[in-house]
Amino acid sequence: MIALEYFLAFGAILFVIGAYGVMAKPNTLIVLMCTELMLNAANINFVAFSAFMGDVYGQVMVIMTISIAAAEVAVGIAILLNAYKVRKTTSADDLTSMRW
Amino acid sequence: MMFMQYVWLIPLIPALCFAIVGFFGNKMGHKMHEGGFLVIAGTAASFILALLVTLEYTGLIGEGGYYPDAYSYSIDWFSLGGYTITIGYYIDILSCLMMLFASFISTMIFTYSLGYMHDQGVRQRRYFAEVALFLTGMLGLAVSSTLLEMFIFWEVMGLCSYLLIGFWSFNHPEGDDKADNAASAAKKAFLVTRLGDVCLMGGLFVLFFAMDGHLEYSYVFNAHNLAAANQDMLFLAALLIFGGVIGKSAQFPLLDWLPDAMAGPTTVSALIHAATMVKAGVYLVARCYPLFILEPNMMLFVAVIGGFTAFFAATMAMNNMNIKKVLAYSTLSQLGYMFLSLGAGGYLMATSMHVDGGAVVIDNMHLFTAGALGYSAGCLHMVNHAFFKALLFLCSGSVIHANGTEDMRLMGGLLKLMPKTAITMLVGTLSIAGFPLFAGFFSKDLVLDVVFEVFEETADFAQVIFVILWVLGIVTAFMTAFYMFRLWFMTFMGNYRGGAHGHCHGESPANMTVPLMILAVFAFAAGFILFLGWEGVMTFRFQFGNFYVGGGEREIGLDVLIELFTNAKTYITIVLVFVAIGLAYLMYVKKSINPGKFNKNGQSALYRTISNRYYFPELYNQLSWKLGYGIAKGVDFFDKQVIDGSVNGLSNSVVGGGDLMSKAQSGNLHTYAAVVLGGVVVLFVAAVVLFAQLGGLF
Repeated sequence: MIALEYFLAFGAILFVIGAYGVMAKPNTLIVLMCTELMLNAANINFVAFSAFMGDVYGQVMVIMTISIAAAEVAVGIAILLNAYKVRKTTSADDLTSMRW
Repeated sequence: MMFMQYVWLIPLIPALCFAIVGFFGNKMGHKMHEGGFLVIAGTAASFILALLVTLEYTGLIGEGGYYPDAYSYSIDWFSLGGYTITIGYYIDILSCLMMLFASFISTMIFTYSLGYMHDQGVRQRRYFAEVALFLTGMLGLAVSSTLLEMFIFWEVMGLCSYLLIGFWSFNHPEGDDKADNAASAAKKAFLVTRLGDVCLMGGLFVLFFAMDGHLEYSYVFNAHNLAAANQDMLFLAALLIFGGVIGKSAQFPLLDWLPDAMAGPTTVSALIHAATMVKAGVYLVARCYPLFILEPNMMLFVAVIGGFTAFFAATMAMNNMNIKKVLAYSTLSQLGYMFLSLGAGGYLMATSMHVDGGAVVIDNMHLFTAGALGYSAGCLHMVNHAFFKALLFLCSGSVIHANGTEDMRLMGGLLKLMPKTAITMLVGTLSIAGFPLFAGFFSKDLVLDVVFEVFEETADFAQVIFVILWVLGIVTAFMTAFYMFRLWFMTFMGNYRGGAHGHCHGESPANMTVPLMILAVFAFAAGFILFLGWEGVMTFRFQFGNFYVGGGEREIGLDVLIELFTNAKTYITIVLVFVAIGLAYLMYVKKSINPGKFNKNGQSALYRTISNRYYFPELYNQLSWKLGYGIAKGVDFFDKQVIDGSVNGLSNSVVGGGDLMSKAQSGNLHTYAAVVLGGVVVLFVAAVVLFAQLGGLF
């Protein structure tokens, strides 16, 4: 059996990659994908703890996370498509009209 | 009970008239005098109801009267904390008297107004609506059952006096100067009486706390409750309430608004001086008698203010050339008589009793009863004055209506041109001058009699004061006869002096002269009420440990007359009145004595001082300019610099801060993500450190 620490390290690496993507990638589509990475990093932690503890609550949480993430991506991409239609760009640095 | 439970209708009917005429008067058209007929009908209805209530209260109709016990009914109005304020009506002989003469004289005045105001067109609607509200105030004040209710109606009258004095504050028939004058007179009346009203309100607050949250007449004027309360608080309350009276009844030193109030229509002057407004002050003193007589100094103060005002105002009437202003000063002077009478009688009562261990103890019943004569005399003079002053004002209105001027120098010889007005005015003049057997003679003589009796019964300092007041009263009686006959002679005798400036239209129409004749009958005969036992009915007594208004022994018959004419002092006043009339005759009809000789043709210092009203308006102006303007400037500085400064500073700092903080809203997704992540990291680190410090969660 693979030790718990490996799963946690894998989750942490995935999360950091996702966080980096969210903060640094100019393309908003990539940013959305990176948020998925972060969510799945959390999912891995859930599943790992669930198996380690021997109960199913963690897996239930993962099901919920996946369904909410699906909805979130649908909304996110819809917004992004509309933004692209209007502004002809998906660069996060250009989509800054919601400010002072 | 047939009529007494409907007392609330008496003020309500004029109030309804006010509402109907106020909203729909213009629809009633000119034939209805824009609603004037409705107001007259309503006032007459109020009078008839007041008459029926009085008859029933005194037991003349219906089954057994309540007299002298007060009949009152009240309902809860609202509750504040532990206090419940009630509202209702309270009938005793004093309320009956006030209702009767106020509604009767108002009916006369309003009827007269049909003729006097007919050329005002659509503005009659405003006039009739406002006078109806005015009467509501007076009648409501008369039937109120608590001091708070009374105060509300008191203020209604204050408002109406403002509106009516300023009736011509725009579109004055004689031009814009007169309109400005009316506007400033209305403002002055409002502000000066307001000064008194603030005192009155303070007095009611003090009384409210001294009396454990009660302001009902039946509670406040109960001897036990009065004796149980803090006497110093009651004295303070009485002083402050009298402050309100000074403002409303225009006594010294708040007297200056009343002469200015002549800027309003003459009928309004008649209303203010005879039926309402200034009489409210006299009523309040008579109503608060149980409170006032607890302290002799209070009553001494009332008497001194009254006696001094009587003399002081009479001097200013001596050389005035404006027919209405002379009458205005005479009102002040006669009101002074009323307060002198109430104060002198009350002083005698106050000295004959004391408060001991929660009860009122009468030390000398004989003196107390003697003092009650002051109450009777004051009330009688109030009624008589109402009749003859209403008559005099309406007559002067008739004269002004016909001549188009108020200056007596431009009148003269009107006896032939308007005989009805002249004769009725002569009756009023004889009455106010105290000519024997006219109404004013009886009441004025009774007042002087009371003052003299107080002088005889007291000692030391008070004795000196009352002898001075008595002499002032006698001198005032002389001056009254003189200036009133000066007025009558200048207006109606000699030759017409209007010259090229104008002409006399002749006698006024019947709807003006008939009220004059009716009032003339009363101005002559109102004094005979004395022979019907007035002194017993309109008196103030202490019985069964409580105070009562009325219920004394009624002496029906001519005893009063015999008593009067066997008294040597009566002849002093009679002789003085005749001398004064003769002097006025010689000066203004025969012209064998030139009045200019006494005043250096109007150049002497005294003459000019009096003409300038003892520089009272000047004093008011100086006070308001120097003091008022100075304070206003200081307040303005404080307002602009300190209050505005702090408010503006606060708002500026909020705006500036907001501007600064809004820069954080860059709109850049990466920045937001970085901030959120950084925040999570900081929280996480903090949590770890905290757990480590506390030794772990478990």
